[in-house]
Amino acid sequence: MTPSFESLREGDEMTPLAVTPDLMRVIRFCGLTWNFPSLFYDVDAARAQGMPGTLVPGPMKLGLICRAVEEWLGDAAYVRHVRAAHRRPDITGRPITIAGRVARLFEEDGHRRADLELVVINQDNEPSVRGFATVEFYR
Amino acid sequence: MIEESLLTPRVLALVGQTGPTSRVTVSRKAVHRAMDVYLGHHDREFAVGDPVPGFTVVALDPDLDRLEIPDLMPDSLLISDEWSFERPLRMGDELTLESRIADISERLGGRFGYSLYARMEVVMRDHEGNVVCRSGRTMMYYDAANARDGGEE
Repeated sequence: MTPSFESLREGDEMTPLAVTPDLMRVIRFCGLTWNFPSLFYDVDAARAQGMPGTLVPGPMKLGLICRAVEEWLGDAAYVRHVRAAHRRPDITGRPITIAGRVARLFEEDGHRRADLELVVINQDNEPSVRGFATVEFYR
Repeated sequence: MIEESLLTPRVLALVGQTGPTSRVTVSRKAVHRAMDVYLGHHDREFAVGDPVPGFTVVALDPDLDRLEIPDLMPDSLLISDEWSFERPLRMGDELTLESRIADISERLGGRFGYSLYARMEVVMRDHEGNVVCRSGRTMMYYDAANARDGGEE
């Protein structure tokens, strides 16, 4: 069920989003942004940097966080602010899960908003990204 | 090892500089391409004026004349990035984009040794000059040869 400002409580958990960013998706991201660091698509270049495989671009993960929040909220609200602090690399082809919880519900300037604490968790159950979002509910 | 600060007057003079203005349109093609990346499909259509997914902002990037930091150190890492929307992006939005170097600082020691931090910002305005979106990115520049292994930075 799509959450609403009235139905949410602080501490409520967002529906998690599990995705596996594969190489094709990452290459599409590079094409979308017209930015091609070899670490994102060349496994030899990534291994030369000590990585076990090619990396999922950080800005791509910010977009995945945004997607997770938007899918959870449906048409009830929009993402007003989203931030990602990158802690660990994520490797292409490995599953990640984006999870979150409602940290604060508040009204400001006549708008109903919620702060969300978010995290990207890798397959070893480690946080690779710490995220934060503020969403604004439509009236 | 770096023995002198790389924050020279020439580098510090970059702070506050803005790049040329770019014009972009939130087009059907841009939205579809972003959906292909983030959803793996683009099976939803948006009418002009409809809110589009926030991640569509990524599809506007190639049209931006972004100011870049000069290559002062051999390696770089994305530390954080963020988007702020005053309202949702809408299909058909015609926006002007302007990038700016907001800050450059240095850090001595730590896991990565001597490093530079730079924050770049992009502001997107509608045809009336109202801010629709701001994006920000903080990069760290360092020399991997001087970095130590470690966990979460």
